[in-house]
Amino acid sequence: MRQARDIPVLRVENLAISYETRYGDVQAVRDVSFEIQRGDAYSIVGESGCGKSTVAFGIVNFLGRNGKIVDGRILFQGRDLVGRSQEELRKLRGDRIAMVYQDPMQALNPTLRLGDQLSEVLIVHRGMARSEAEDRCVHMLEQVHMPDPANVMQRYPHQISGGQQQRVVIAMALLNDPALLIMDEPTTALDVTVEAAVLDLVAELQTKFDTAIMYISHNLGVVARVSDRVGVMYAGTMVERASVSDIYLHPSHPYTLGLMHCVPKLGMDKSSSYLYPIRGRVPSPKNLPPGCIFEPRCDFARKICQEERPSIREVEPGHWSRCHFAEQVLAGELQPLAHLLPNLEARERSGEASKLVLNVEGARTYYDAPSTKLIGGEKQFVKAVDDVSFSIRKGQTLGIVGESGCGKSTLVKTIIGLEKPTAGTFEFMGVDISTPVSSRDLDLIKNLQMVFQNPDSTLNPSYSVGAQIARPLRRFKTVPRNDVRDEVVRLLNMMRLGENYYDRLPRQLSGGEKQRVGIARAIAGRPELVMCDEPVSALDVSVQAAVLNLLLEVQNEMGTTMAFIAHDLSVVRFFCDTIAVMYLGQIVEIGPAEAIYAPPYHPYTEALLSAVPIPDPRVEQKHIRLMGGVPSALHPPSGCRFHTRCPRRSLLPDGGAICETTVPPWQQVTEEHRIFCHIPLEELYKLEAVITIDVEEESHVG
Amino acid sequence: MSVAETTPSKTSEAPAGTQRKWWEPLTLIFRSGVGTVGLVIIVFWVLVAILAPLIAPYSPLAQDSTAINQPPSAQYLLGTDNMGRDMLSRLIYGSRTILLLAPISVFCSVAVGTFLGLLGGYFGGLIDEVVMRILDAIMAFPTILLYLIIIAALGPSALNVVLAITFVGAPGVARLVRSLTLDIRTRDYIRAAETRGENPFYIMFFEILPNARGPIIIDSMLRVGYAIFSIGTLGFLGLGLPPPTPDWGGMISEARKYIWTSPLGVLWPALAISSLVVALNLFADGLREESTRYQ
Amino acid sequence: MARYILRRLSFMVLTMLIVSIAVFLITEAAPGDVARHILGQFASEAQVELMREQMGLTQPLYVRYFDWLAGNDWRHSRLVDMPLTFVQLEGQQEPQWYAVAEDGTLRQWRMEGGELTEIRVSLDGARERVPFDNWQLDENGEEIFWGVDTAGHVVLWRRGGAAVDTGAAAAGRTMTESSGEQYLPLRRGLLRGDPGISTRTGRPVGPTLVRRLRNSLTLAAIAFAFIMPIALVMGLAAGLREASLLDRSISIFSLVTTSVPEFASGVFLILIFAFWLKVLPGAAIFVSDIAPWQDPKLLVLPVLTLTLVEVGYVTRMARASMIEVVNAPYIRTAFLKGLPYWRIVTKHAIRNALIAPITVIMLHVNWLVGGIVVVESVFGYPGLGMYLLDSALFKDVNAIEAGAMIMVTVAVGTQLIADVIYTFLNPRIRYK
Repeated sequence: MRQARDIPVLRVENLAISYETRYGDVQAVRDVSFEIQRGDAYSIVGESGCGKSTVAFGIVNFLGRNGKIVDGRILFQGRDLVGRSQEELRKLRGDRIAMVYQDPMQALNPTLRLGDQLSEVLIVHRGMARSEAEDRCVHMLEQVHMPDPANVMQRYPHQISGGQQQRVVIAMALLNDPALLIMDEPTTALDVTVEAAVLDLVAELQTKFDTAIMYISHNLGVVARVSDRVGVMYAGTMVERASVSDIYLHPSHPYTLGLMHCVPKLGMDKSSSYLYPIRGRVPSPKNLPPGCIFEPRCDFARKICQEERPSIREVEPGHWSRCHFAEQVLAGELQPLAHLLPNLEARERSGEASKLVLNVEGARTYYDAPSTKLIGGEKQFVKAVDDVSFSIRKGQTLGIVGESGCGKSTLVKTIIGLEKPTAGTFEFMGVDISTPVSSRDLDLIKNLQMVFQNPDSTLNPSYSVGAQIARPLRRFKTVPRNDVRDEVVRLLNMMRLGENYYDRLPRQLSGGEKQRVGIARAIAGRPELVMCDEPVSALDVSVQAAVLNLLLEVQNEMGTTMAFIAHDLSVVRFFCDTIAVMYLGQIVEIGPAEAIYAPPYHPYTEALLSAVPIPDPRVEQKHIRLMGGVPSALHPPSGCRFHTRCPRRSLLPDGGAICETTVPPWQQVTEEHRIFCHIPLEELYKLEAVITIDVEEESHVG
Repeated sequence: MSVAETTPSKTSEAPAGTQRKWWEPLTLIFRSGVGTVGLVIIVFWVLVAILAPLIAPYSPLAQDSTAINQPPSAQYLLGTDNMGRDMLSRLIYGSRTILLLAPISVFCSVAVGTFLGLLGGYFGGLIDEVVMRILDAIMAFPTILLYLIIIAALGPSALNVVLAITFVGAPGVARLVRSLTLDIRTRDYIRAAETRGENPFYIMFFEILPNARGPIIIDSMLRVGYAIFSIGTLGFLGLGLPPPTPDWGGMISEARKYIWTSPLGVLWPALAISSLVVALNLFADGLREESTRYQ
Repeated sequence: MARYILRRLSFMVLTMLIVSIAVFLITEAAPGDVARHILGQFASEAQVELMREQMGLTQPLYVRYFDWLAGNDWRHSRLVDMPLTFVQLEGQQEPQWYAVAEDGTLRQWRMEGGELTEIRVSLDGARERVPFDNWQLDENGEEIFWGVDTAGHVVLWRRGGAAVDTGAAAAGRTMTESSGEQYLPLRRGLLRGDPGISTRTGRPVGPTLVRRLRNSLTLAAIAFAFIMPIALVMGLAAGLREASLLDRSISIFSLVTTSVPEFASGVFLILIFAFWLKVLPGAAIFVSDIAPWQDPKLLVLPVLTLTLVEVGYVTRMARASMIEVVNAPYIRTAFLKGLPYWRIVTKHAIRNALIAPITVIMLHVNWLVGGIVVVESVFGYPGLGMYLLDSALFKDVNAIEAGAMIMVTVAVGTQLIADVIYTFLNPRIRYK
C-alpha cells in the first residue's frame, strides 16, 4: 500500500523456538515464516497456547531462562537478530522495536510516576535531558488523545482508567518512533467501547507514524478491523497466511474455515442457523500427530493427511496454506461432515410459552460503601442494580448485555439469592424469591441453578467429575440413591463426555470440558431456570460453539428457561430470544433480539453495536465512540445516567438539558420492546442502522 | 511462557483418566536434594525415639556418683552430666520427649487455627472482625513473652508447654487459613455450592478446606520445626518440662554451668536439637519448592 | 495520611488497653498465692493474711486493675485528708510517699514502741519525730487516724487497739509493722510511670527496668543495624538470580542459621570463640553493673548470635519478594523498553521488592525480642529479657506486668511504624 517495499521491516523465516522442561525440550513454535512491510499491519491470530505470543517474544529475544530459538532467521530491516548480543538487542528494544502488551495495569510499574516511566525511554535511548524528554512525552500523550497530558505525567498508574493506561503504554512504545510495533492482545482486558477507541487509535497511528505493526490477537473481529494481512497459527505453526479478505471470505485451510464457522456472526440466530464446533482439542507440543497437525480434528481429513505432514505453499498469489487439499477447500469442493450438528429436533414451544417464569419489578441492590471517615459520616451506597424490571417466559432465553460494572452480575446474583436485594419484587413461578438462598426451601433452590464463567474455578479441584455432578442429585433427591451413578453417566453422555470422565479430576480436563461438567452439574437437578454468567467468554472460539450448542440442546430437551449474561453481542444475538441492555445498574433498552439490533436504538445500544469487532471485513460499521469513562456507581449521574457520555443528546432541544435533570420515560416501541430515553421515538427511528452486512454475499456453509 | 498452559493429553480416549496415587506428591521430596537430606535426618531421629529403650545403654535417670561430668569414655560414649547420668541415654530419651510434644502441639494449633481461619474467612463481617482483632492482639505479643506469662501463670509441665505452643501458634495458622479461604471463597465452585443451598459448615469443611490442604500441610511442617525450637527454648529457660525428664533444652541449660570444665556437655544436646530443627526446615522448604514448581 | 496515622494510633491505644487487661488478668490468675510465695512455706496463715492486705490483694480485682493502671493516691488522699506526694529526698535511695501538711512540710507516721509517732520533714530536709496526738473520732466515738506509713501505705490506726504482733512483723522483708487496722498500698499507676514494687527484691520496679531496658535496646539496636543491611542485600541478590549457585547458597545458609535455636548457636559460638580460640569473653561476664558499651568486646558474641538467627528470616522474605517482582509484567516492560540491567534493578525492581516484606520484617521485631531474652540468658547479659525471665520464674507480678507492657509497646509501636512506612512507599495507598 505504500512506497519502499523492497526491504520488509520484519522478515521471519522458518522460526522455531523451544523450551527446556523437565520432560525434555518442547517445541512451542515450528516453521513460522512471514514478513511485514513498512506501514503495514500484520495480524497473527490463533487460540490460546498456539504459540503466537512466543513468536512475539522470540523477536525481541525475551524467552526466559529456558526458552531459545533453535532454528530460523529473524531479519529486522535486513539484519538477522538471531545470535546477536544482548547489548545490541537491548539498544533495539524500546527504540527500533517497541511492544504493547495485554494488561496495561500490570505492565506499568505501580510505584513510579507515569512521567518517569515514559521519559526514561528517551533518557536511556536518546540521552535526552529530563526536561526535554518530558516535553516530548507530553506531546506524545497528546498524540494518543490523552486528556490533560501534563497532569497525567505526575500520576501513578492506578490513578487512571484501564483505557487510559493502555494509551500511556502505546505512547511509551511510540516515543522513539519505532520501525516495528508489536502489539500483543492490547485490548483483550478492556471493555468493548474502550477497545473500539483503542483500535481507532492504532489505525490512526499506523498512518501517522508509518510504523510496521505486528498485531497478536485471538479475536477474529479485532483482527478483521485492524490488519491488512493475517497469519493464522495453530499448535505452534502457521497454517495459513493471506490478506484479510482472503482469510475471512476465502479460507483455504480447514482450521481457518472452522474458525469462521464456529463464531456466530452478528445477525445469526439460533432458529435459522447453526454453529459448527471444531471437535477434539489442540494437541500438546510434545505429542504431535505424525501427519498434518490438524488432522485429528479435521472434517476433510484423508489418508494422506495422517501420513504426510504438509508444508506451507502458495495456493494463489499472496495466499499461503499448509493443507494437502488447499485448492479444493478454497474452491468449496470438499464438504465437511455434519455429524457434530446439535440435536435440535425436540423443540416444542407451544402452550406453556406464555407462562411467566421469572418476574422482577423495581429491583434494587445496593452495597454499603466503606466510609472514609473515622466515625459517623453519611452512609453511602454503591447502587449496583437500581430500579430494574423485566420478566422471562417459560422456555425463553433472556440475554443481559453491558460492559463491566453495569450490574449484570449483581442482578443475577440477587435473583439466585447470593446477594440481598435492597428493594423490589422478585417472583419465580409465582413465589417470592427476595430472600437469600440460605432461607429458601430446597424445591426453590433446585429450580434455580447457575452456570459460571471461569472454567478453571467452576469445579472444585479436590473432587472427581462424577462426585461433583452427583452432589446435586443426592441433595435434591432428583433420582433414587441407587440410580445416582447411572444418572451422572447419562448427564455426562448428554454433555458428550462419556462415562470414562466419571473419575477424572478437574485438572485433567480442558477448559471446554470443565465448562460442560459445570453445565451438567447445573442441570442435574432439572431446574426450571438456569442463569448463565458468561459461560463461554473464557473459552477459545473453537470450543465456544460446542458449549453453546450443548446449552441449546439442554434447553430444547428440558424446556429450561435461561438468563444469559454476556458482553459479546453476537453470541447474545445468536443465543437469546429477548435482550436487555444494561448501563450503570439500569436497563436502558429491552426487547426481542432482532429488534435490539435495528433502529430505533437507545443511544447506548447504538454505541455498543458500533464498537463490536465483527469478524468480516466487508461489514460497514457506523463510527460512534463514547467519551469519557463510566461514572462511579457511588454517585451516578442525575436524570438519565447516560447523559454524561451520550452522543445523541444533540437530537433534543437545548442540547438535551432535560437529560441532566429528569429521569427519562420508558417509550414503548412494540409491546415487548421498550427504550429508556428522552429522545422521541420518531427521532430514534431515523437513526441509521449501525451495521450493514451484505447479506446476499454471506456464504452459509452446510 | 505459554507451553505450560497447553493441555496435557491429546484426545479423550487417551488414558488421561489414570488416577494419581495418593503417595505421589510425597515422592516430590526426592527431587529436592536438601529436602532429601532433611528427610533422612528426620527419619534418623524418629527411629532413635521409637527404639530408645533398645538402643539406650542406660536409663536416662540412672545416676553414677562416681562419674560426674566425665568426658566421653568407653563406658559412657558421650560422657556424663553433673549428676553422673549418661549423656547418650539422656539424648536418646530426650528425642522421645520432643518428638512427641512437638507434633501434638502443632496438631492442636493447626486444628484451632484452621477452624478460626475458616470461620473468619468464609463468613467475613463482624465474626471475621472480632476473631481477627483478638488474634492480632495475641500476635502483637512477642512470642517469648506469651510463653513466659503462660508458663509463669500455669507452671511448667508437658501439658502447659502444649497449651502455650497451641496458643502462640494458632493465630498464625488462622491468618494463613483465612487468607486461603478469602481466595478460595471467590471461586465459582463455592458459588455453585451456595446456589445449591449447602450448609455453611459443609462449604467450609468440604468445599474450601480440601483445597487449602497443601499450604496448610507445608506450614505445619515448618511449625513442627518451630515447635521443637520453642520446646528447646522453653527447656533452656527453665520453663519447659520439670526435671529430671530428659529434655534437650534443659540439658543445655544444666550443662552450661559446667561449660568451662566439660564443654562437650552442652555440645551434644545443642547439636541434637539443631540437627532436628534444620532437618525439618530443609524438608518443609524442599516440599514447598517442589510443590510450587509442580503446579 | 495524617488521618490514617491518627486512626492507627487510636487503634494502638485500644490494643494496648486490651493487652494491659489481658496481662493483668493472666498474671493475677496464676495459681498460688503471691503473698505465700514471698513469705515462704513456713509463714503462718496470719502472716500471709497480713501480707495480702498490705499488698492490697484483698481488694476486688477491678479496683486493683485501676490502681495498677492509674494509681490510687488521689483516691486515698481523701482518707488522710491531706494531699499525698511521692518524692525522693536527699540521702534516701528511693522516693517515698508523704502526706503534705498545710504548711508545706511532709508527714509520715510510724508506730514506735506502741505509740504512734509523727515524722515531720521540713522543706530543708530536716526531720523531727513528734509523738502523735491528733486522734479523730469515728461514728462510734472511738479514736482513729488515717495516715501514711514509711512503706508506702495509707494506714488506719486505732488508739489503744494497736496490738503489736511481732511474730507476724518479723516474717517478711517488706513488712515493717502490723500496728494498723487497715492497709491500703499507695501506687501512682503504670500510666504515671510507676510499675510498683518488685516482690522479688522489695524495691521499686521502675529504676531497674529503665536500666535493663537501656541495655537491651543497645543490644537490639546493634543487632538490627547488622541484620538489616546484610539480610536485605543477600535476599535481593539471591532473588535477582533465582536458582543460581549464589541463590542456592544464600537460601541454604539462611535456612540453616535460622533453624538453629539461639541457645544452641550461642553455645556453639562460646565454645568456638571463648573456649577453644580464647579470643572473646564468653558467658557470665556481666557481674558488675556496668553499661555494656563500656566493654564492647562483651557485646560481640551476643550480637553475633542474634544476627545469625535473625538474618535468615529477613533474607528469605526479601528473596521471595524480589522473585515475585522480577517475574512481574512491569519488569518485562522495563526490559522490553531496552533499559540497561542495572537501571531495571535499581529503579524498577528494588523499591517494589522492599515494599511487600517491610511489614512482615517489622513484625519480626517480635522474634527479635524473643531472641534477646534467650541470648541474654545464654550470655548472662543484664537486659530486660533476663529481668523478665527471672521475674517470671519468681512470679514477680509487678515486674512481669511492667516488662510485658514495655515489650508489647515496642512490638505494637514497630508495627505502627512499619505500616506508616509501607503506606508512604506504596503510592497505591498513599493516593487513594
